[in-house]
Parts: sequence; structure tokens; C-alpha cells
Amino acid sequence: MRLYEFEGLELLRREAIPSPESALATSPEEAVEKAQDIGLPVVLKAQVLTGGRWLAGGVEIAESLDDVREASHRILGSSVRGLPVHRILVAQSVKAVREFYLGITIDDYHGTPLVILSAEGGVSINNIAREHAETVVSRPVSISKGLELSEAKQMCRQAGLKGKDATEVAGVLSSLYRVFRNYDALIAEINPLARTKEGTYLALDAKVEIDDSSLYRHTDLNLSMQDRIANPLERKGREIGVTYLELDGDIAIIASGAGLGMATMDIISQTMRPANFLETGGAITEDLLYKVTDLVLQKKGIRGLFINVYGGINPIHEGAKGIVRYMQEHNVTIPVVAKALGNHQEETWEIFRQNGVHVVTDVSTEKGIEQLASLLEEVR
Amino acid sequence: MSILLNKDTKVLVQGITGRAGRVQTRWMLDYGTNIVAGVTPGKGGEEVEGIPVYDTVAEAVARQGAEASVFFVPPPAVKEAARQTIDAGIRLIIVVTEHIPVHDVMEIREYASGHEVHIIGPTSPGIITVGEAKMGIMPANMFTPGRIGVISRSGTLSYEISINLANGGFGQSTVVGVGADPVVFTNIPALLKLFEKDPDTDLIVIVGEVGGVQEEKAAEFIDRWITKPVVAYITGLNAPEEKRMGHAGAIIQGDGKGTPQSKTAALTEVGVDVARYPAQVVDLVLKHLKPA
Repeated sequence: MRLYEFEGLELLRREAIPSPESALATSPEEAVEKAQDIGLPVVLKAQVLTGGRWLAGGVEIAESLDDVREASHRILGSSVRGLPVHRILVAQSVKAVREFYLGITIDDYHGTPLVILSAEGGVSINNIAREHAETVVSRPVSISKGLELSEAKQMCRQAGLKGKDATEVAGVLSSLYRVFRNYDALIAEINPLARTKEGTYLALDAKVEIDDSSLYRHTDLNLSMQDRIANPLERKGREIGVTYLELDGDIAIIASGAGLGMATMDIISQTMRPANFLETGGAITEDLLYKVTDLVLQKKGIRGLFINVYGGINPIHEGAKGIVRYMQEHNVTIPVVAKALGNHQEETWEIFRQNGVHVVTDVSTEKGIEQLASLLEEVR
Repeated sequence: MSILLNKDTKVLVQGITGRAGRVQTRWMLDYGTNIVAGVTPGKGGEEVEGIPVYDTVAEAVARQGAEASVFFVPPPAVKEAARQTIDAGIRLIIVVTEHIPVHDVMEIREYASGHEVHIIGPTSPGIITVGEAKMGIMPANMFTPGRIGVISRSGTLSYEISINLANGGFGQSTVVGVGADPVVFTNIPALLKLFEKDPDTDLIVIVGEVGGVQEEKAAEFIDRWITKPVVAYITGLNAPEEKRMGHAGAIIQGDGKGTPQSKTAALTEVGVDVARYPAQVVDLVLKHLKPA
């Protein structure tokens, strides 16, 4: 789960990493009020879950209260990279003398935390790595030992930091590692960490993503997934416990596996256009597939439905009952083709056949899609 | 004996008294798997499908000689269970459990690296040595005995590819699901190495997907170490960027890494034919082997 900037900054503060004084606002009036408290000039930042907010017009500096009102009005009514802005962060505007990049992420392949530091912050780490590769230092860390302060200092020296920069940045890096570890982060990034002309070191942004699988042990953070998903159908999928992604076609898909779902998308895309990606996960019940059928058929203009399920851990015969119950209750007349293999396959076929679902007898998804395509031809 | 598992392997089921554990124990026994014990803390003394249940792995090892273990353990309990299992000297662990926190996965992996153990998963469908034994949830009727080794990041696609291979006249020696998480305990190259050494395997099929760098690393490994023919299939040609495609590990990050194009290019570069769609895998295998 990706956190909003203000939530990320709060986690940094919990580990004693300071950031400029700031407050949230949901209206221009509130923004003005907060700006008065904080003192001008302020920076107004759209709270949306995407990078590149500056370039997309989601961040503005305001020198006067009139500026604050105008700019926050503009930002709050807008979309940044397709995401509607409901909240802005009003933060004290800080002049950076020097900017650094600090990040902790996971090296998936080697299965270790990876600490990344650059003496050049402010732009995306990919750009830094491309244009100032010599300033980027990275180091894998033992998950059981953690990042020791001596290692953090060594990284600072390797990145060319000297004197107070080296000691202060090493301290922040150690604290950032604690954020990463204590909150089960997939990414904890400060870009930039600024040295101000007063000689303080402040986090001017925070990008934190927390592992969804760990949320059960971070209930104190009160994070809700619901206000992080912009697409209503994708939000609904999340609510019922499946992965749904809306695509721009008209052939609905239900698949009982992520790989199978992607393969089904790929095959359909050869001749037609998939309306969605849907993966049921391994906990199919009659009720779940009733809801899933409802979900994938909600999009306007669906011409056909392809069901691709395997009975491994999933009781697909139970799932089939849910699908056909939905079809009966809602008088579904578009062609529906099902490929269902594995445990309980015969029982599943029987349920489908008795209820007007075309059952694919071939073992390949390709053949199933061909069957759907020819049914669609007949309809035409 | 194919790799890692055969009909004689003495198998332990952890979390045997749970709903999935019970059902899957029945299926595994029906397949001929030599299940000798189950473990659920607090349920020692019970029986499931005639299999004795113990409180600890150490007990199951001492009483029944268990040497491999399959996990149906709930996510919060996996870290501790894995330590206990490794400490008890089990040499093969299959973690079927989904949704284990990735920090726990990293801890377990680091702990396992200091021990003589093969640990596979998490979010793995398991391993099946076809016609002999299976540890995991894969439906048995998808597999046919033969001489192709399959390594898959996706459970359901390992079934799809196997049944399509069988339809084309090719059975499988062992099929392994490495697991669908971003960090897995064992990456594809370690399994390639086992199949390379296995006298019962003539050709290896890799089923990959978007996200991560496992396929790219596999390509480097194949170039250096693998003499047997390898065929691959990469799914997710139409996956949008920065969206998790159901599997936690299946995501194309904004930096353009983990795309099907980069994986296909890396594998093609070292002479591995890559299918664009599942049914093409058989055609590519036909270039190397004659069907049965």
C-alpha cells in the first residue's frame, strides 16, 4: 500500500526524521488558515499517489495569502496524472542549499534490503542513476543485522559527503532504515533530503509503500485501502477480495490465477479486446464467484464472458454454481464460455452445461477463445 | 528420481488440521505421496486421514523420520514454523501459504541460506514428481509422466502448460512452482541446476511472467551452465505498467524493468526459444524432442 506524502512524513517523524512544518487542507479557505499559522512563503502539494507532481502542476509555491487561495483552488479542483486531488499539504517553504537522495528498497532477486544514497537529490533516482551514476552508492543489508551506523557512514563517504553532511546524512539514513523495517516497507524514500542554509537537514518529501501482506500487524496506522484506488470497479474488486483491473475492451474475463489471467488477456488481445483482468485468488466460494460475475459484467458494452479456472486449491464446482445463479437471476444473454479443469472438473462442466454456459472441452485456452469468437460471430 | 521429491520421500504436512491442510492431505495421499506425519501446535495426538499429528516438527522427525515438509500454515505463523523446521533438519520445505509479509520472507531466506535445505515458495502451488508424489495443491489430473522438467512462477499456468504438453505427446518429470511473490526462497536458476543434473529430464520449460529479474538471471545462468534444451513462455504481454497483476511479484515498475520484452530478449539472446502464447510451447519443444 502506497502512502500519501503526509502519511509518509508522519512515519519519518516517528523515527525522528524532521520535515518542514506542514498541515493538510481540503479547501482554499483551510489552506489560507494553515498558511497563516505556518508563515509565508509556503509550498502547496497535491496529495496524490504518483510521482512527478511538480511537472504535472500539482505543486506550487505561494508567497502571499492571495497566492495560497488561488493556487490551492487551482490544485484542489484538478487532476494530477489522472488522479483527482482532494487534499493538499501546506508546508513551510524551505530553501535547500544542497539536496540528497536516500532510499531503502528490496532487492527482490537476492532477497535483501537495499540501501541507496546519492549526493544528488531532487530528481527521480532513475535520472540520477543515468546522469550522475558516480554519485549513487548502494549496499545490500543483512535483514537480521540491519543497517549499522558505521555502514551508513561508510556509504556517505563513498558518495563523496564530507564533514557534517556525512554524519548528519548517515544518521538520517539509519533512521530511514528503521522506518523501512518497523513498518514492513517495500520502499522508504526521501527525495530530497535538504540541507537548509541554517544547517538543518529536512525531508522535503516521503515516498513509503507498505507491504499489503503485513497490514495485519500495523492496524495502529489506520490505513484504508479504499481511498487509494481511484477506479470504482477496482475498488469493488478489492472489497470482495479479488484483483480486478479495468481495461478498454469488451470481453470480460474471470480467471482463477494471476498467470492464467494474464495469459487469457494476452490470447484474447490477439483477435479481440479484453474488458478487464480478474484474478479470483485461492479462496473461491459460490458467493465469491456470484459477486465476481456481477463485477466483471458491470462495465458497459460487454459482449462476451470467458471463464478460465483450475481446481487445485479452489472448489471450482462451487464457483460454477455462483456464476450460473448470477446469470439466471440477471438474465445474462451474452455468450459465456468456460474452460474448467482439475479437481471436480466433470461436476463443474455439468453445472455450466445445464445453465447455458458453453464448456470448452479442449485443454488449451486458445481453443476456448476461438470458441467464444465464433459464438460472437453468430450473435452478429 | 527427477528432482527433490520421489515416491519414497517421507513427507510431513504442517498445518494439517486446517481446512486446506486436511483436503490437500487427502489429495496428496491419493496420488501416492508417502505422508508420514502432520504437525499443528496444540493438536498433537490427533489423526488426519489416518496420519498421526504432532505438536512439533522435531517430534515428527524423531518418531516418523520426516524429511520433507509442505506448509499450509497461516501467514503470521510461517516465520517461526520455518525456523523450527529448518532446525529439525528437514531438507525440503514447500511453502504454499500466500500473503506472508515480505520482510518475513527475507528473514526466512537468510536463515535458510546458512543450512542444508531447499526451501520453495511462498505462494507456490508446490512440486510434483509425476506419477510418484506431490507436495502442494496442484490438481493431479493435469500431469502426465515424461521427461520434461517445468519451472513456473504461476501455479495455474504450470497446469495449463503441463496439460498442453501432454496433449502434444510430452510428459513431465518434475513440475515446480517457485512461487508468485516478489521475493521467493529459491530463484529459477537453482532449479535449472537441479534439472541439468537430473538423468530423467531431457528438456526444461520455464514459465515466467512480468515483474522482477528472475528470467533475465535465468538467461545468464543458462548461457554459462545449462547444456539441455530450454524453452520458455512469458505471460503478461498486455499487462499495464505499475499495476500488480494479481501476483505480488507481477508488476512492471515505472523504470521499465521486468517487461516481457526484456525477459524475452534476454532468453532469446542465449538461444532459448520463447513462446508468446501457452499453446506455442509444444511447437517449440518439438524442435528439440520427438513426442511419445
